Amino acid sequence: MWKYLKKYWVYALLAPLFMIGEAGMDLLQPALMATIVDEGVLGIGHGGVGSMDIILKTGAQMVALIALGGLCGVLSGVFSNLAAQNFGNDMRKDAFRHIIHFSFSQTDRFTTGSLITRVTNDVTQVQSMVQMVIRGFVRTIILFAGGIYFMLRLDLSFGVVVLCAMPMILLVLIYFLSKITPRFTILQEKLDKVNNVMQENVTGSRVVKAYVQEDYEKKRFGKANDELVGTQMGILLLLNYMSPVMNIILNLSVIAVIWVGQIRVGDGAITPGSVMAAITYLSQILNALMRLGMMYQNISRGAASARRLREVIDTEPEIRDGSFDGEPQIHGQVEFRNVTFAYPERDPILSGIDLVIPPGETVGILGMTGSGKTSLVNLIPRFYDATEGTVLLDGVDVKEYTLANLRGRIACSLQKSEIFQDTIAGNISWGRPEASEEEICHAAQIAQATEFIDIKEHGMAEPVAQSGHSLSGGQKQRLAIARAVLKDAEVLIFDDTTSALDLKTEARLYEALQKEYPEKTKIIIAQRIASVKNADRILVLEDGHLAAQGRHEDLLQTSRIYKEIYDSQMGGESHG
Amino acid sequence: MAENKSTAMNTVPMPGRRGGGPGSRVEVQKAKDSKGTLKRLLTYFAAEKRRVVLLLAAVAAGVLCGILAPDLQSKAIDAIADRRFDQLPGILVIMAAVYLVSCFTSFVQGLQSAHLSQGTVRRMREDLFRCIVGLPIGYLDTHPHGDIMSRMTNDVENISTTVSQSVSSLFSGVLMVIGTVGMMIYLCPPLAALSCTTVILTAVATKFLSAAMRKAYRKRQALLGSLNGTVEEMVSGYHTVAAYEREEAVIRQFEAISDELTGVGIKAEVLGGSMGPLMNLINNIGFVIIAAFGGYFALRGMISIGVISAFIIYAKQFGRPIDEIAQVWGQIQTAIAGAERVFGIMDVEPEQPGGTLKMEALGEEVEITFEHVNFSYVPGQRVLHDFNLTVKPGQKIALVGSTGSGKTTAVNLLMRFYEPDDGTIRINGTDIRQIDRDSLRDATAIVLQDTVLFADTVRNNLKYADRSVTDGEMFSFAVKSNVDRMIRKLEKGYSTMLTADGDNLSEGQKQLLSITRAFVSKPRILILDEATSNVDTRTEKNIQDAMVKLMQGRTSLVIAHRLSTIRDADVIVVMDQGRIVEQGNHESLLAQKGKYYELYMTQFAGQST
Repeated sequence: MWKYLKKYWVYALLAPLFMIGEAGMDLLQPALMATIVDEGVLGIGHGGVGSMDIILKTGAQMVALIALGGLCGVLSGVFSNLAAQNFGNDMRKDAFRHIIHFSFSQTDRFTTGSLITRVTNDVTQVQSMVQMVIRGFVRTIILFAGGIYFMLRLDLSFGVVVLCAMPMILLVLIYFLSKITPRFTILQEKLDKVNNVMQENVTGSRVVKAYVQEDYEKKRFGKANDELVGTQMGILLLLNYMSPVMNIILNLSVIAVIWVGQIRVGDGAITPGSVMAAITYLSQILNALMRLGMMYQNISRGAASARRLREVIDTEPEIRDGSFDGEPQIHGQVEFRNVTFAYPERDPILSGIDLVIPPGETVGILGMTGSGKTSLVNLIPRFYDATEGTVLLDGVDVKEYTLANLRGRIACSLQKSEIFQDTIAGNISWGRPEASEEEICHAAQIAQATEFIDIKEHGMAEPVAQSGHSLSGGQKQRLAIARAVLKDAEVLIFDDTTSALDLKTEARLYEALQKEYPEKTKIIIAQRIASVKNADRILVLEDGHLAAQGRHEDLLQTSRIYKEIYDSQMGGESHG
Repeated sequence: MAENKSTAMNTVPMPGRRGGGPGSRVEVQKAKDSKGTLKRLLTYFAAEKRRVVLLLAAVAAGVLCGILAPDLQSKAIDAIADRRFDQLPGILVIMAAVYLVSCFTSFVQGLQSAHLSQGTVRRMREDLFRCIVGLPIGYLDTHPHGDIMSRMTNDVENISTTVSQSVSSLFSGVLMVIGTVGMMIYLCPPLAALSCTTVILTAVATKFLSAAMRKAYRKRQALLGSLNGTVEEMVSGYHTVAAYEREEAVIRQFEAISDELTGVGIKAEVLGGSMGPLMNLINNIGFVIIAAFGGYFALRGMISIGVISAFIIYAKQFGRPIDEIAQVWGQIQTAIAGAERVFGIMDVEPEQPGGTLKMEALGEEVEITFEHVNFSYVPGQRVLHDFNLTVKPGQKIALVGSTGSGKTTAVNLLMRFYEPDDGTIRINGTDIRQIDRDSLRDATAIVLQDTVLFADTVRNNLKYADRSVTDGEMFSFAVKSNVDRMIRKLEKGYSTMLTADGDNLSEGQKQLLSITRAFVSKPRILILDEATSNVDTRTEKNIQDAMVKLMQGRTSLVIAHRLSTIRDADVIVVMDQGRIVEQGNHESLLAQKGKYYELYMTQFAGQST
């Protein structure tokens, strides 16, 4: 936190300084007011003859001071904003930079949802906290301390009232805040629950309706809603008990000040104007105290956000860049040497993988859900690092490459086709924005995407809605494939990216790919045997082991698992 | 080249696909029909008349106290100044009494407004949810989900805060201004007139500043929206960002928005922050005016010092409400606009309830007939053309064809998610429109490609359709559909909590669970719409074997890309662009050497079968 604030220390220092100016002017006023009343109106010290002169002179002084105070206030606002917003901006940018450079397992650990809130919501919270601290907090403290000072200067006996009232206010504050604060956390949970039921019902409406569970869902929502309302009610009621108690203390103190004041005026120790001033100071002091209590809540919320942000910023991207930035001897060779991989705190998902894929080979990977197919290919571009063993690309350990050099050689089309809010052309050229129009069209052709792009109203320039909701699954997959094809890479990886394509389209796609890029190494993960049947080699993964490999015809003879997969797809003659 | 920007996105409904998403952005707008909406909003309060009356009474009493207190204080100061100390205790006692009453009224006021706002919001949320649950699928398919949800999350919340805070503060503000001005005029008309100059100053300053502020805040809000959008898109798509080494470009894009936001944010906040000091300045000028002129009047013996002291408090007291009223007015407008959006959903025509016939009355076996059914999501763009199909009791029917050929649409019509343009769908000869809709759906189980699981335990998810199913029964279904072993491997087995987006399960596992859920519901008609697309083929085979056992004598409809999935179907229906082009079993279709043969050969080309 300090690291970020340090850069803007001038602003962070000027803001409270100007705030002292503003608050100081506020504090001087009641004293001037007392002068107007005592000397100007009552003529105390001037033989009981009031003086219009004093009134006007003091009045002019007051206006000047107020204008100065206002100016200070505005400047303090400017500087506190410059500090807080720039500080927040730096922090936000830094957090985002960190997140983008996180390894997949680091992102998994945080979960994307939580990362999004941290960059957006938490930054805003921290920002407003900083601003409040350097402005509101300082102002309140000055009004509080100054109020006490000036009040005691009027007459020490007023101190008795302050001494009595302050602990009472503090006690009440502490009591209620300690009861309310934890409830805010509960409130958030209850709110999440209501929103969650809501979301499930909107996105899952087909299931709810298909199983005729409307009444059940209404009950479920009713329960969540009642809990939310109950919690909120509890907080509102507590706040509602608190404010009258505070007001009573404040108002009784005013009465006490008047009472003390009349005794002292009777003694001739102070003037009536002082009593008026004392009342103003007293409410300043006690109001400041209450505001401090309220601020405590905001500060603790801001501090929690700051902690969550710090977690992100303090997490160093665990995949370290290597130093190799040159050109290797071979192009397009992938090798696994005794590779074992496990997600943190889980059993290994891959073990003892030994594999060489020579340049230009087309390799298909088959296996059951959870057999480690995706994990295997994720090790090549270092989305994850192997737990044991070495992964090599073109004869060089992937850990030795700089990430840009390594990933520049690999084009991955992922299981979940990510579509961005952009045009169709923009989505295809997303990995290579400098690509020419012909190149984009060519990639679309290979990916068999032209047929549906052409019938769009604006063709390539057709905008795609958020998350690609205006596209079907197969269309999204083809755009993602075109994107991968367009990237000029040695190794192409398709992670089950043709599952939503009908077989004819899929076949045409692979044919075009082989014809246009025979030199590229292609690694294809698939569920359907037809997708990989023509591959140079098919790998069969089973429970993280390489169970079999070879050409389709050979595997049919040699691998029982492959035969089983084949049979399950061909109609299952050998099954009962 | 078509240069005009296409603005009408997402107007084409995507059957079977979820539209919309997170990242809803709400813009504060003015309501189109404020009066009507307000009237309707007021009906929510009508049910709690007693509370409203109590609240208003408490507010009025509180304002009265607020007006009396400074006057009493002024009397006390005068007593001190004139050394009439013996009168003081009496005044102070009255003062204390007024303060106590004031505290009590503020307590009552808070209590009533809390009950009022929470009660109203509770009912409004419930009403809204009831309407949302009853919305036709067609509405949900064509409207962004984020927008629908934001009505619950943002708009209702907004109404809640406005009700609990703004309404009573508006009422008390108005009363306070009237009372204070009245009291000031009563005490000293010339000084009252002078005090009013500050009111004019306040009004002018507020108007000028708030116009500039609103503009700046709106711009900031828009930028914040696009910042959040970028973060959401990039963070959730970070796999792709990494795969294409676009990190630096994405960061640059983000930083540009972030910097712009900061610039606009500083401007907005500085403007907003000036409001306080400016009001303070105006307030204090008022203070000086009162002091100077009050002093002058006091010198002339027109008023006492106590009156000056009272005026100082009054001037403060009435500067604040004016400031507040302006703010509250904006809030109320936003709330009304929000209420309009909420009512907008409530006014959507709910699903038609259907007929009264129960499925049980139609006999044990189920025969489904589509007769000359035509259908279009968007008028003029027909998706199903003269669709005729008969599914005999106990048959397994498969629908194949490329994306967009109308397979899912047929299912949508059968489930009555949509109504056909013309033609009839019958079950055992009865038009499904005459069948009770819930009874029809109850008898049918559907498994979709996009799995929907609820944030609940695995057990409750499986028993979703019928919670009276025993654990033993559920286990046996799970074993039969080959999912038992997988569930028992989970951390807490059947008691494992699924997360909201189910990301602790793989796509394939989610599909298995939703298939089991369908089995547990013991349906008479089972519909699988690409339900096993993410499941490996061996597991799928096992599921199919289970299906054969479980669906004995029951009717099932299967949609699939993989021909292996549907090879053993009794009837395979090949669809193309909303028409049935071929129909028959696997062997007869192969023999026809038509479209099915073509599809089949692409899968098994070069393979002797």
